[in-house]
Amino acid sequence: MLRYIALRSLVALFLVWVVVTIVFLLLHLIPGDPAELLLSQGSIAADPQAVAALREKMGLNAPLWQQYLSHMAGVLSGDLGASFRDGAPVVDQIALRLPRTFEVILGAALIATGLGVPLGTWAAIRADGKADAVISFFASAALSTPVFVVGSVVILLFAQQLRWLPAGGFVPFSEDPVEHLKLLLLPAGTVGLALLAVITRMSRASVLEVLQRDYVRTARAKGLRRGTILRRHVVRNALIPVLTVLGLEMGTLIGGTVLVEFVFNWPGLSGYLVSAVDARDYPEVVGIVMTISILFVFLNLVVDVINALLDPRISLETS
Amino acid sequence: MSPAARKLILPATIIALIVLTVLAAPLLPLADVRAMDIPHRFAGPSGAHWLGQDEFGRDVLARLIWGGQASLFIAVGSALAAAVIGAALGLLGGYFRGVVELLTVRAAEIILCLPPLLLALLVVTILGAGTWPLILALTILYTPNYARVVYAATQQVRGLDFVTAQRAMGTHPLTILVRTILPNVMPPLLVQMSLVIASAMVIESGLSFLGLGVVPPTPSWGLMIRAARSAMEVAPMLLVWPSLALAGTILAFNLLCDRLQSALDPRSITAGGALWLRPRARRATAAAMAAAAADKAPLLEIGELSVAVRELELVRRVSLTVRPGETLALVGESGSGKTLTGLAMTGLLPDALHVTGGKALYARRDGGRIDLAALDEDGIRRLRGDEISMVFQDAAAALNPVLRIGDQVAEAIRAHHALDAATLQNRVVDLLRHVGIPDPERRARAYPHELSGGQRQRAMIAVAIANNPRLLIADEPTTALDPTIQAQILQLFAQLKRDTPEMGMIFVTHDLAVVAEIADRVAVMYAGEVVEEGPVSEIFARPHHPYTAALIASVPEGGSERLVAIPGAVPSPHAMPQGCRFAPRCAHAEARCGESVPEIARPAADRITRCFRWEEVA
Amino acid sequence: MTTRLNRRSFLATTSIAATSLAFLGPRALRAQEGGVLRFALSTYPPSFDAWASSGTAAGTIKLMMHRGLVSYGPDGLMRGELAESWEVSEDGSWTFKLRDATWHDGSPVTAEDIAWNVTEAQKPDSAAYLQGQLASITSVETPDAKTVVMKTAEPQATLPGWFAHYNMPMIKKGEARDTTIGSGPFKLEKTDRGVSLTLTAYDGYYKEGLPRLARVEAIVYADENLRVAALEAGDVDLIEYVPWQAMNQIEGNDALKLDTVDGPFMYLTFNGSKPPFNNPLVRRAVAHAVKREDIVAAAFYDRGGALEHLPIADKSEFFNAEYANAWNYDPDKAKALLAEAGYPDGFDCTMLSTAQYGMHQSTAEVCQAYLSMIGINVKLDLPEWSTRVKKGNEGQYDLAIMGTTAANNDPDGLSNQVDGSLPDSFVRSFQLPTPEISELFAKGRAIFDLEERRAIYKELEKVAIETAPMVGLAWRSQGYAMKKSVEGFTNLPGQLTFYSGITLEEAMFG
Repeated sequence: MLRYIALRSLVALFLVWVVVTIVFLLLHLIPGDPAELLLSQGSIAADPQAVAALREKMGLNAPLWQQYLSHMAGVLSGDLGASFRDGAPVVDQIALRLPRTFEVILGAALIATGLGVPLGTWAAIRADGKADAVISFFASAALSTPVFVVGSVVILLFAQQLRWLPAGGFVPFSEDPVEHLKLLLLPAGTVGLALLAVITRMSRASVLEVLQRDYVRTARAKGLRRGTILRRHVVRNALIPVLTVLGLEMGTLIGGTVLVEFVFNWPGLSGYLVSAVDARDYPEVVGIVMTISILFVFLNLVVDVINALLDPRISLETS
Repeated sequence: MSPAARKLILPATIIALIVLTVLAAPLLPLADVRAMDIPHRFAGPSGAHWLGQDEFGRDVLARLIWGGQASLFIAVGSALAAAVIGAALGLLGGYFRGVVELLTVRAAEIILCLPPLLLALLVVTILGAGTWPLILALTILYTPNYARVVYAATQQVRGLDFVTAQRAMGTHPLTILVRTILPNVMPPLLVQMSLVIASAMVIESGLSFLGLGVVPPTPSWGLMIRAARSAMEVAPMLLVWPSLALAGTILAFNLLCDRLQSALDPRSITAGGALWLRPRARRATAAAMAAAAADKAPLLEIGELSVAVRELELVRRVSLTVRPGETLALVGESGSGKTLTGLAMTGLLPDALHVTGGKALYARRDGGRIDLAALDEDGIRRLRGDEISMVFQDAAAALNPVLRIGDQVAEAIRAHHALDAATLQNRVVDLLRHVGIPDPERRARAYPHELSGGQRQRAMIAVAIANNPRLLIADEPTTALDPTIQAQILQLFAQLKRDTPEMGMIFVTHDLAVVAEIADRVAVMYAGEVVEEGPVSEIFARPHHPYTAALIASVPEGGSERLVAIPGAVPSPHAMPQGCRFAPRCAHAEARCGESVPEIARPAADRITRCFRWEEVA
Repeated sequence: MTTRLNRRSFLATTSIAATSLAFLGPRALRAQEGGVLRFALSTYPPSFDAWASSGTAAGTIKLMMHRGLVSYGPDGLMRGELAESWEVSEDGSWTFKLRDATWHDGSPVTAEDIAWNVTEAQKPDSAAYLQGQLASITSVETPDAKTVVMKTAEPQATLPGWFAHYNMPMIKKGEARDTTIGSGPFKLEKTDRGVSLTLTAYDGYYKEGLPRLARVEAIVYADENLRVAALEAGDVDLIEYVPWQAMNQIEGNDALKLDTVDGPFMYLTFNGSKPPFNNPLVRRAVAHAVKREDIVAAAFYDRGGALEHLPIADKSEFFNAEYANAWNYDPDKAKALLAEAGYPDGFDCTMLSTAQYGMHQSTAEVCQAYLSMIGINVKLDLPEWSTRVKKGNEGQYDLAIMGTTAANNDPDGLSNQVDGSLPDSFVRSFQLPTPEISELFAKGRAIFDLEERRAIYKELEKVAIETAPMVGLAWRSQGYAMKKSVEGFTNLPGQLTFYSGITLEEAMFG
């Protein structure tokens, strides 16, 4: 097991290195000069001399391979560089933003699994019945409505009309835990709705599949009660693929909550990435992408390990 | 047309309508999508503008239809492009493996590590916003999905016999890939495609919303939502129309995807769920009968039992009797209805099947008699695993992979008896020892996959006898095992018979050698009917039905191989012969055999046969 | 309206209760006025660099932390800040007399500090917003600790205006350029990058009784719709950049008030380095082809006005009534001009704008529609803002949409948009020389007499109307919205709207 995890981690690190390299190179391909942008704020043209001086200061005049090597050297020593914009260490900014993104994703995952698994199971039991049709319809509808539409509507409803929750924004947990959680509710709920749809559909399919398994018939042959069969034999086995999907979806969400962050003004990692790309803040973009891809590949690893723990048939050594 | 295929009609029609509408946009009498009418901005629906006018006074209906064209074009275009590239990568990687796999599938998976949004952002900022950069971005994004799916499917197909055969014949790998493997991986590919189209539409709208998508004034649904959102308070309907169009189209694609999946992959036909899980699903007539019986009364008396799926009779008027301590073997080819008869006794018939007639009187431990065929789910559940239990054919599948063996045995006991933990544990270990599992304390903590095939079947038997059942139904319990293990398991059954002389047993098998070894009586089934029944020794010595005779003749010397030698095949339930069901394959058949159904004949007091010419069969 | 006791109002009431016990003079009086203002910004300041231009949000924060020599008051007139008085001598040198003010660390503001600011910012590589202008200052002298004398090679009538700009505040000598130690009414206490800034009142501020607020929480709401929603939901007290579509709705809300001015404007720039827009006839054709009212309606929900001349406001003393509709909507004239230029059937070209800001995109869409009517087929290029800036600076376009404010209400403030002798920039037409106009700008800067200057700028506008180095499209209304209870905050008139942050020193809850 440990050897397997070590091996997988090595492969994962290699993947991260490839991703970071690709992004590093792509960034230098895209139009837009960070120095010029920095000096062109507020509709004012930048002076070419000042731009050249700033480029030199930022080290952008060195050949690309030199920039790459010095950046990688920094990364290896745990230094992701400083923002072009204000010189803030990128590591600090990521450390600040990442937990907020996690909060939204975890909140969404909680909502999605807490409701999605029972709903999906119910739909599977009632497969092709009315309840199934209703659940499946709403799951598909939730999946097909863009988050920015859902977001706009819930703000209109819960913040502007009912006034139950603030419209958006962020207050650190340490400052005001209650307000913090209230602010978290809408973005997490909006992401959670889409995730809920995925989990419900997946649970339904998975439960349906497990219901056809021989061991469920065995359980019935033992004379077990319905609830016992559902709990011990059906849901437990059906959860394995659902958790895999949940893990993968959460991985995608780490860098993919930008629309929700925008609509609810939640200062997470995705919005940070977009603003960094907009400002051509190379150290920030590379740092964020590296963080996201590390988390993504390791989340996949964690999903595999959890699967192995849940399903004794999976042996990590051989897979 | 199969029911699954019929279900495709609805989503396919909706999608066809949508596609036709957006394709016909140039032909429809629509307003110019770019014509501004700023004085009438945000005007409501009118004769000239059915859905009203947008923030520039442009016609919403026209923009909706033309916008659909842009959105669909991007989604379908990128889904197709990604399908072609991804399928190629997946095929190559899955077929050749090794370095090729690394360069194709694994390389594509790198893309999965990139945040999708960053990818789109980079592509669009390098190439500029617009339809083609968007298609490129989405294509890159979805290629790994296809590559993965096709890779997995290719690996499955690759190992199949006909592919191996072609390889052995020296067919060019590319030919094999294109001619043989590609058609076989089409189903998952198609499903993936409908999934990707739906997802691409969501992403397209998101990117357009962020201003990274289609360039105005070309309409797209995402752009329309973006524009309408800022005017949400002024003209809410402007937000509703494109959202509805987007959600509706995606919904249709999702539906298509689901139904395509069940139509293309019969293994996943899971419709119907599980009727037994629904409370009061079965007839609630707990028709228990109290008619007290004499001591020597049969344990189980099946009379004229029929099982059908819709109008199709799979088991027809079967009558059988099992006495305490007696072992009845049910013999026949696949599809003869022998397993269904066994399942009907435990109420475990698949949801689509029903007992349509007859009865199955069972004498309970307390002496009462009860009609198993009339019990509801709850009534029969109380008997299952306690008085009547079952051993299944494939123990590997019949045991829950994620529960320990001991727990699986224990729950069978706990379902009917309240025991404290320690007693329960002892009983479990005793049972495992009883069925011949070595080191039972340790094996109780093992998972099914950690046991050998023979041990798994022993564990399965331990589950079945956990509560000392009066009736044990064994459904081909040795079929999946090696011959040596088969013999051991048969010995175990023989031992169980000796240890519990009161237990009746129904032993379902197609193996006459097994019958000879274990059964007291045998019932030979053919195409859903019992064609001959009687004591094993008498029937083997002197069969009175041509089918039984043919079965016996087909057993190779001293072997236990499968039945192969009877010419022809069991008729399908759709096309049952009018007269005797065996007539088409029967060497003794004559004119009347094809015309009328032979009645039951009784060559001896304890024997029956269903043949006009039983006297001539020897 | 329900009286919802939120966190903000709760804190506000408690702080009043806590301090009202000590009613002992001006200090206590200020504290009593106290309270916390929650201000929704449109974006987080990309940097706190005192002299660089980092956008209007940064400007607002700098106007709270820092002070310059002079400033514009709520009435739009120049007034003293660190400089108590200022005057120009016969030879054109300016003398500033400083008042007693202190930096946030308690040390006094001296003439030496001021001189250091000027000499640092005028260095060629300073990247200061006003570096070009400051470079014309040949010497800065400090005869005593409270007097600064600046000499220029040519007389500079507009020099005080430079020191009123929020991109030319004074910082303590030797401090880093992005220092947060200033001499303004608020101290930057805490920042959460990209999220919020907390500023607290500086009790050593040189204006007695100010600031009235105890604290300002500046919170970033990038999405304009959410900004409005937050104000309506009571999450914030004041918002900037009120989206035009929401202005009616805010005016209709009894708990809120809206303060707007017409100041910023939208205009077209051209690529003068290649045909067809190197031809003034074509540029004038474009100027007559667009119906400005439709831009005002579509992009600004009728919040603004048509702009058919150079962006000089009608209230300005430099406004020339005879040119007010010089570029009127006249498609026939536009077609005739096109034909005269040799394009009777029009041509194809690309128009650069950005999808990042709705007003830029909507303006572009309306222009596209109108240009197509005179035969000019426009393909829109709508990259995000960074790329749009880059392409603008490099001239990768035929014509482009821009929106901005002039540096101030003086017509010289327009040089950035109109003067073709300045370096290539996305804010003005690309490589489009304007020799006559450049000369007139220089002349106007060197003259102090109002009437003479009016004549010069009238001549300048005449030339501009004929050669169309840029084409005005629309004035846009720039709005702040706030709770009814917020008092003292004023939207400065005209081009000065982005200087409004300075009035936060007087803001309070009524």
